[in-house]
Amino acid sequence: MAQLTLKNLGKSFDGTDVIADLSLDVADGELVCLLGPSGSGKSTVLRMVGGFETPERGAILIDGEDVTEVPPEKRPTGMVFQSHALWSHMTVADNVAFGLKLRRLPKAEIRRKVTEALDLVGLGDFGNRRVWQLSGGQQQRVAIARALVLEPKILLLDEPFASLDQHLRERLREELRDIQRRLGITTLFVTHGQDEALALADRIVVLRGGEIEQAASPDRMYRAPETRFVAGFIGSMNFLACDMRGGRADHPLFPVAAVVPDGPVELAIRPEALTVSPGRSAGMSARVHRKTDYGTHLLLDIVLEDGARVKAMCPPSGAFEAGQEVRLTASQVALFRDEVKLAEVRTEAREVAHV
Amino acid sequence: MTIAETSLATANPVASRKTRRPDWIGGLLAVLLGIVVVVPLIVVAIWAFAEVWRYPSLLPQEWGLRFWTATLSRPDVWTAMSLSIRLSLVVTALSALICLPAAYAFARMDFPAKNVLFLSFLASHAFPKFGLLVAIAGIFLNLGLISTFWGVVLIQLVGTLMMMIWIPVAAFQNVDRAMEEAARDAGAGPIRVFWSVSLPQAAPTIFAAVLLSFVGTFYETEGAWLIGAPEIRTMPVLMITYINNQIVVQYGAVLSVLLWIPSFVALMFTRRLVGSSSFAKGFGV
Amino acid sequence: MTDLSSTGPVRTGGTARRNGRGLTGLLLVSVPVALLGWLIIYPIFNAIGRTILRTDGTGPGFSLDTYVRFFSDGYSLANLWLTLWVTAVCAALLLAICLPLSLYLRFAKSRVAAVVQGLSLFPMFVPSVILAYALIRTIGPNGGVDLVLNALGLPKINSPYLTPWGPIIGLVWDNIPLTTLMLVAGLGAVSDNAVEAARDAGARPWAVLRHIILPQIGNAVLVVLSFTVLSIFSAFTLPYVLGPASPEMMGPFMQRTFGQVMDTRMAVTQAVITFAICAVFGAFYVRSIARNRKNGR
Repeated sequence: MAQLTLKNLGKSFDGTDVIADLSLDVADGELVCLLGPSGSGKSTVLRMVGGFETPERGAILIDGEDVTEVPPEKRPTGMVFQSHALWSHMTVADNVAFGLKLRRLPKAEIRRKVTEALDLVGLGDFGNRRVWQLSGGQQQRVAIARALVLEPKILLLDEPFASLDQHLRERLREELRDIQRRLGITTLFVTHGQDEALALADRIVVLRGGEIEQAASPDRMYRAPETRFVAGFIGSMNFLACDMRGGRADHPLFPVAAVVPDGPVELAIRPEALTVSPGRSAGMSARVHRKTDYGTHLLLDIVLEDGARVKAMCPPSGAFEAGQEVRLTASQVALFRDEVKLAEVRTEAREVAHV
Repeated sequence: MTIAETSLATANPVASRKTRRPDWIGGLLAVLLGIVVVVPLIVVAIWAFAEVWRYPSLLPQEWGLRFWTATLSRPDVWTAMSLSIRLSLVVTALSALICLPAAYAFARMDFPAKNVLFLSFLASHAFPKFGLLVAIAGIFLNLGLISTFWGVVLIQLVGTLMMMIWIPVAAFQNVDRAMEEAARDAGAGPIRVFWSVSLPQAAPTIFAAVLLSFVGTFYETEGAWLIGAPEIRTMPVLMITYINNQIVVQYGAVLSVLLWIPSFVALMFTRRLVGSSSFAKGFGV
Repeated sequence: MTDLSSTGPVRTGGTARRNGRGLTGLLLVSVPVALLGWLIIYPIFNAIGRTILRTDGTGPGFSLDTYVRFFSDGYSLANLWLTLWVTAVCAALLLAICLPLSLYLRFAKSRVAAVVQGLSLFPMFVPSVILAYALIRTIGPNGGVDLVLNALGLPKINSPYLTPWGPIIGLVWDNIPLTTLMLVAGLGAVSDNAVEAARDAGARPWAVLRHIILPQIGNAVLVVLSFTVLSIFSAFTLPYVLGPASPEMMGPFMQRTFGQVMDTRMAVTQAVITFAICAVFGAFYVRSIARNRKNGR
């Protein structure tokens, strides 16, 4: 269907750069999630693609055609807003039909397309309802139908499920994914929820301060974060500061070996990469501070002798109590220095052999 | 079923205790206000249907509609009525025509000196109104606008400006910007967005503002009296001459009841707007 | 594809378009602004100009003769004093009536509160002409109140009709809705939680009013006072119909000078004097609006 290219986009508000220099290619039929904390510029990027903001530098191309200067009403994009932005003075069907009427389509065709679009989001019988008679989830479905009925080349979604409760959000997320797959529509999705991005995206683009921090598949993003920011932003991560000396970290618990220049580093370890067993560690004592039972797993909050805290995940069968002394081993450790990843070490084999 | 019953039973005493506690202060205020506000109007209503009411009888000696026919057969009443209606219609239409686009601009567009200009509309309350009218009358005298229809139109138009700017501005500002953007996204140009989304969304509030302006113009006495006299005699001006000349008490009463009808309609439709805090905010609180 | 490097030309389209929109905006507001300028701002300066500049005889010259005449004329001064007195009494009465009323409306949650609100808004929908007529019939000589008193065997009231108390009653009646509304809006700044926290700390209702509520609505009260003064000081209809013929309030006085005495210059002089007296309140009012708008944004 369509390809979206952002080339060296730049935008500032009141003299401060919101987007410095951003380039991104979205392939035909791909669903890309723009993920970032508030103020990272993710919505600005989306609004520039939709035509609601004009970039000061760079260009936006859809299927190779420069649309940077094209006003929103002439762009082949369809947008779903966070506040659903349905027109409350029209019926559901009129909302969906509005854009078609502007295009002066024959009445019968409008009716057919509206029915199709509403069927697509599972609201086939709701055409005559007023907007306020719908639930929040239904309203957002109508907004999706309204954006899709015009058959845009690019679908844009600006935190569309942010105002819904967790349960509904997860369901709509799956429905949206199904619809997007079925239509094969190129989609840009803005969210600040990492779980949403991980669940939806073909590719996640993490933004920070208006720049792309990392763009990768959900799987790579979680397992191989390339910067300290991404490592900390996606999922939970333990960071332990220490020094590298002669190719070995001087942390008493995790003396990992890596070919890294000497100097301060941070060891990054996922909670699930830690194995906890009763007993005493060699270099440094570690005690369970608190145990939280999540049903599927236990989350242990562990205090190290030097005051550092780490979180560790272990099977629900694990018998640990607060105050108990434990031994920690890590199966995978990443090393960061000044935001940049230096090395990734898998220690599984060594530890298994050790035990 | 049983669960529902038990929960109702437990919820009941709490709820009833709350509603049963009498609101003495409220009751007292309601009675006092009721007497002060309603009694004068009841007296007028009784006079309108009294044919003979001599002191010291508590109620009229004879009731009837004789004075309604008498009042309504007076040609000056009909002239004043049609003049007042024409005047109010012209003023309200002109006011809507020039103020609604301006209100939209104030609410949604960016232009130089916007804040100062908007503030100057709100600040137009900061001048004693009748003094201002006299100053304007001094200018109109030189322009030959005194005692003309269009002179009164102008003076009353100024009176509606403030309400017709700031209520619609608030209404337009309350329209979700994303709604307008969604319309742009669907292919509507800026004018189409205004017509199909912004205006209908703001319509209930704007309608109330238009109604208030119409009624306000209909009852406007001071400008009409000062600028319009002696040629332009609107209903309120006629009413004042009736009061002054004390011809027949019932004429005034019948006119009062008649004149109050538009106000009653306005009361029905605009009470929600007037009671809202955003309305009071326009006066600077 | 064209090469677009980040150091390429900065797009000026955005700002140019904004300028274009700026002109459209100015164009849209131009008619009301022009009207405002012509019929509110200009008349004020014109009034000052025409009363201090002499155009008769030997070309323009500076003269304060009408002002001298006003301030040396006992009747004019009596009118001015009457107006000031009526305004002060009305403002005091309005605060005394509307402050309790608005406190009640702000904090009451019963169904009676809706009735009280409706009743206190009601006078806004009674035009002042009708009000004037109704008051004459009710508290005028042999009016409704006299009828009731007589039926109860009590003496008649000393009718306020055609005394300064006539316009006072009328003006207070007429201004109750707006004053109450503005005070209620001002009381919106006091959060329920602030009051509940104070009561929780052991404050009795009177202490809550004195230490929590009043300090927070001081500014609102001042705005309401200025607004009331501005609208009452130059009231016309009610003083004209209900008030005494001599001395009279400034509104009817100006009207008579303009319409019957046909002394435009003197009438405008009187208007300028009312502007001057109200200027303090007007300035305070404008400042408060400006500050509220800045805070609102």
